[in-house]
This record gives sequence, C-alpha cells and structure tokens, in this order.
Amino acid sequence: MKMKKVASLFLTACIGASALAGCSTGNGDKSADGETTIEFWAAPNPTQQVYWKEMAKEFEKENPKINVKVSPIKESPTSEASIQSAIAGKSAPTMSENINRGFAAQLAESKALVPLNEIDGWEKLLKNRNMTDTIKTWKFSDDNQYVMPIYSNPMLFGWRIDVLKEIGVNEIPQTYSEVLDATQKLKEKYPDKYLWAKGDLADPTAWKRWFDFFMLYDAASGGNNFIEGDKFVAEDKAGVEVLKFMDDLRKEKALLTKQATDPFESALGIFTDLGPWTFSYWEEKFPEMKYNENFGLSLPPVPDGTEVKNINTFADTKGIVVYASATEEERKAAMEFMNFVYSNPENDLKWLETTKLPPARDDLSTNESFKAFFDKNPVLKPYAEAVPNAIPSIDNAKYNELQTHIGRYAVNPVVKGEVDPEKGWNEMKKAIKEELKK
Amino acid sequence: MKKTNGTGWLFASPYLLYGIVFFAIPLIWSMYLSFTDWNLISPVYYFKGFDNFIEAVKHPGVQAAFFVTFKFMAAFVPMVIVSSLAVALVIHGLPRFKGLFLIGFFLPYLASGVVSSLIVKGLLSHNSAFNVLLRNIGIEIDWLSTPLSALLVVAAIIAWKFTGYYALILTAGFEGINKDVYEAAAIDGVTSSQRFWKITLPLLYPALFTVLILSIGVSFGIFTEVYQLTGGGPNYATNTWQMEIFKQAFTNLSAGYASAVAIIASVVTFASIFVIRKLLEMWGKRNGWV
Repeated sequence: MKMKKVASLFLTACIGASALAGCSTGNGDKSADGETTIEFWAAPNPTQQVYWKEMAKEFEKENPKINVKVSPIKESPTSEASIQSAIAGKSAPTMSENINRGFAAQLAESKALVPLNEIDGWEKLLKNRNMTDTIKTWKFSDDNQYVMPIYSNPMLFGWRIDVLKEIGVNEIPQTYSEVLDATQKLKEKYPDKYLWAKGDLADPTAWKRWFDFFMLYDAASGGNNFIEGDKFVAEDKAGVEVLKFMDDLRKEKALLTKQATDPFESALGIFTDLGPWTFSYWEEKFPEMKYNENFGLSLPPVPDGTEVKNINTFADTKGIVVYASATEEERKAAMEFMNFVYSNPENDLKWLETTKLPPARDDLSTNESFKAFFDKNPVLKPYAEAVPNAIPSIDNAKYNELQTHIGRYAVNPVVKGEVDPEKGWNEMKKAIKEELKK
Repeated sequence: MKKTNGTGWLFASPYLLYGIVFFAIPLIWSMYLSFTDWNLISPVYYFKGFDNFIEAVKHPGVQAAFFVTFKFMAAFVPMVIVSSLAVALVIHGLPRFKGLFLIGFFLPYLASGVVSSLIVKGLLSHNSAFNVLLRNIGIEIDWLSTPLSALLVVAAIIAWKFTGYYALILTAGFEGINKDVYEAAAIDGVTSSQRFWKITLPLLYPALFTVLILSIGVSFGIFTEVYQLTGGGPNYATNTWQMEIFKQAFTNLSAGYASAVAIIASVVTFASIFVIRKLLEMWGKRNGWV
C-alpha cells in the first residue's frame, strides 16, 4: 500500500516536472570557466538566420570567451507577442533584432530594454559604422537610444511607367495636381484600371498607415513630427492636404479599396508603395517586372508648390535591442558583438547582398564598399539615396492605438467617401489627443 | 473501497494536473490580472479595482464583440446544421463506403484555418476569376469590406470546416435509429415528410442537440479566420471576443485590460450557452423528443 502511494506520488511529480521543464528555456550567462553566452534572436527568415549565424561564428573565432547562440524569433502568433511572452516568462534572450521603433517604445516604457547609450562601446559603434547622423532621428523622447538600427528602408512609390507612357505621361508625376492629371488620363483610356489599388487603405490596422498615410504625410510636411513624447505636434495643413489628395483620387474613382491579387504587377493599379524586399520576390514570381522598362520609382508626391528636391518619406526601419534581463557581462558581450559586426563595412555589404535591405549608415550612397553593389542593382540606388531623408516611425508606446485612430477616423472614412477630409482630420486629432491623455 | 479510490486518483492525476496547470492557475492568474494595469513586462503596475471592467463595457470593440458573436451564431448555426444534416442524410443512404465519404468530409476540420482563409481571400479578391465572372453578369460585391457579406463569408468558412465533423455525429445518430420503426411507419402509410418530421428528427434529437450545443460554443471562439480575413473589420463588423482580447493583449500590450475582457467574454459565453441549452431542453421535452 505504501509502495503504491510512493509510486503515485513519484508519477505525479514526474509529470509535473516534465510539464514545467517543457516551459523553460536556457538563458545565456557566465559559466565557471569565464565564458559568457549570449542569446540572439534573429528574424525567422532563412536569409537573416544564415547571416547572423555566420557573424556569430566569425565573432566567436576572435572572441573565444563569448558564445553567441543565434535562434529564430517565434512568430506564433506574432514576433512581438513571442517577445512579450518571453519577457513575462523570464526567458527573454540577451538581445534580438527585427524590432521597430514603436514596439521598442512599448518595451522601453516597461523598462524591458537597456539604454544602449549606457553600455560602454556605444559611441565607438556609431563612429565605426558611420551612422552618427542616421541615429539622430532614432533618439527616444527620454533622450536614450534603445535600438541599434540595422537597416533603414526609405519607402518609395512604384509607378507603372509602361501604362503612364500609353496614356501620354512621360515623366513620373511629382505633385498632387500632376498625379490627378495622370489619373484623369488613365480613367479616360482605361476606365477599369485604378491609380492606387490597395485594400489596406480601408483597413484600420495600425501598421498599415506606415505604407500610405505616413509616406504622404512625411513628404507633405517636410518630415515634421507627428507625435513628440506625449504631444500631438502634426502639421494640420499637411495632414489635411494628404487626406484631400486621397479624397480627390476617390472622386476620380481612382482608388480601389477592395482586396486584389497582385494589383500592381497586373497593372490593375499603376501606383503603389514599394520596399526593396519586393524585388527578390519579383525576380522569382514576376520576372517580367523590369526597372525603368515597365516600372519606375519615385519619392512620394507632394502638394503643389512644394519643393520637389529632398522629399521626405517614411522609413521602414528595424534594429537590435538588448533586454534589461541581461546581466552586466551579457550586455558587455552584446555590445562587443555589435561592434564586431558593424566596425567592418564588408559585413554591412554582406547584409545588403543577402537581404537587399539598406544598412542604416550615413555613407551608404558614397562609400566605395557599396558602390559596386548599387551599380549592379540600380533598382536599389534610389533607396540608398533616400536614406538621409527617411523618417522612422513614431516612438510612442501607444503607437498602435494612435495609428489605429489615423485609420479609423481619417484615412479609412475618407477613401470610402464617408467623411470630409478636414472633418476626418479633426476627429482623428481629437481621438489621438484623448488617447495621449490616458 | 479505499484501494479503489487510490487507483482512481492515480489514473485521474495526469488530467487533474493538466487541468490545474493549464486551466485553474491561468484562470486565477487572469482574474488577478484583470484588476491591474499590468502589461506583463513592466516591473511596476497598479491595482485598478473594477476600472478595467467599466472601461471594457464602454469600449466599442467589446460592445461589437458581444453583438457580433450572436450575429455569427445566427448565421453559422443554421448553415452548419443544414449542411451537416444534408451530408449525414446522403451518407446514411449510401449502400457502402460510408466511412470513406465521412473521412472525406471530415478532412476540412483538420485543415489549417490560416490556409483555408488565404484560399478564400484569393478567391474573393477583386480580380479573381469568380469576381470577374460576377461583374460580367452585373453583380459587384465587396465581400470582405461590407459588414454583412464579411460576416457571412467568415461564417461560411467555419461552417465548411465543421460540416464533416458534425455530419459524423449525426450519421452516428441516424445509424442508431431502429429500422423497425420505419417499417412500422411504412405499414401505417406515413408520407416521406411525416417520416422525417415525426420519426427521424425526434429520434435524431439527442445527436442534433449535441451538434447544436457544440456549434453554439464554436460561435464564441472564432479567431483565426477573422484575424486572417478581416482583422475584425469593417468597422468592428466581424470583431469577435477572441479578436478583441488578442488586439488588447498582444498589440496594445494591455494584458490587465485584456484579462478583464476575457472574463467578461467567459461570463457571457457560459451564461448564453446555459440559457440556450435550457431552452433547447425545454423545447425537446415539450415535443416529447427527450
């Protein structure tokens, strides 16, 4: 009888122990022989995994006392949710990449990140990578730097220049009235085509505003901030002009706000936001898409009368963060690893070749190391040139709620013709201000 | 007797342990969280009393989730009952290979919601062959941006997924009906309509009751299809409880508030299922089916 009791207790304990063991993950630390292990979560796509594993291997050769364990960020259901769960479960890595500024602001507000400027070696890193100017726009409202930007994608608009030529437009339109003029010609010749065929225009999901509203707003406002700290500082005139531009396109029946499959590639729409990641995809799926033959790239159109040189645009940027749970040794080791990777431009070139994402450096379009690459990939040159004028996302911890308001009160109802641009702007402003007060 | 109890507890212990680790502890933890403003990662957080609950009740997303669930139920339950009943009737009438056909209809249940949603998204896109065909005959529907059609599309995908599973239960119900009853009815000269309404349906009622309760339960747990297809839009028209909880917990990082929404959702779910179940039992009893 006693034996049975012992056996049942043992069985229960085993089940419990294995259940709990399944929930744990090992964390990097300093072992007895003086070695430090840091855990690095990289973006789950194969190219970035390969890049970071290679970097870790090379770094370990030169720094035998530091081990870098590279593993993919789980994306179930999203990478942000996985990171949040890891922090809550006290199993956060030492550092991770693929972090945008808005999410970094959420993490920083919760004291989950280490200010990188407080770790020795930060200044050296900025100098060695030649990114002292680029990093300025990355400063958070508390004057700290929480993210080491890896790449900065200035978002550009793609135009179907073959269709433009067919309708008698030989230059890519740069101002709103030029766009409207091209639109009228398009609808005259091709009533079933649209200028901008993008279902996301009618979707309030926060991140979708980066690729429509913010591109146009950054261009129209000359890069004026939207939110500063807890203050709404957006330029009313620019905001209303952007919404009015969208409304004018709607009136011309030039916006398709239903979901469509490959609308730009099939020329159903002749204007769309394009990031450099598109081109590798096109090489495989749409080899017929040829730069300067059937499509061209441009900075966002601007209101009439605006200077068309040095136009600002939204920067889709992501970078590396170090988590507050990391020990002093791990923080130091993380900085050493970053310094190793970024003190050599060849590593940024390797990144560029592997991912096609422009490294966040001041000298991207002037450094000889990158020249040959851009000569070979002319489609990426406009992106490199736009890096200095690219504006990263807002750094408010409530960026999700705030950007949802932009969609819900302004962009979505305007493109559906449900609200006047000025009224939409004011309603959005009111909702954002209330959210910021909470 | 004591010996029997010990063995019983031993065999039940894995499930009990599972229940404690994955249900009881998270439930208590969630209740605790719902009274705080914690985001799960901040070292500092405050107790908010019932503020999260009050805020949630006033929030348009939560209000929408409440009504959307019942709208889904109104669309999904009849759809899935009719389709699974039809499948079960056809399979029951087959002379052979019943199992094979049942497996075939059961397969969508095993399919990933993400995959089926993406297929439907492609099928309903503006330039799909299906929509081009519709436009050619003068019909233009913005499937996922119109509140009613978006809701019906999601309900239809889920109905397609569950039809085979429920047909399996209903087929078992059909197979359980004694053939002698039909033979006696035939001798009495009943029509086929009378046969269905007066014999089949009452005798199938226990299986049908199970399917009804299960499908009502499904209406309260819709997430993947909505997340993939509509994101809860347009204008909260497909915003389910799970969608709202996900947005608040993992997008806005408001775990405390999301826990309050989850608790409200569970209370609404339990209360609704309890009431509907009682009504169905009463209905069955009144007709002499149970």
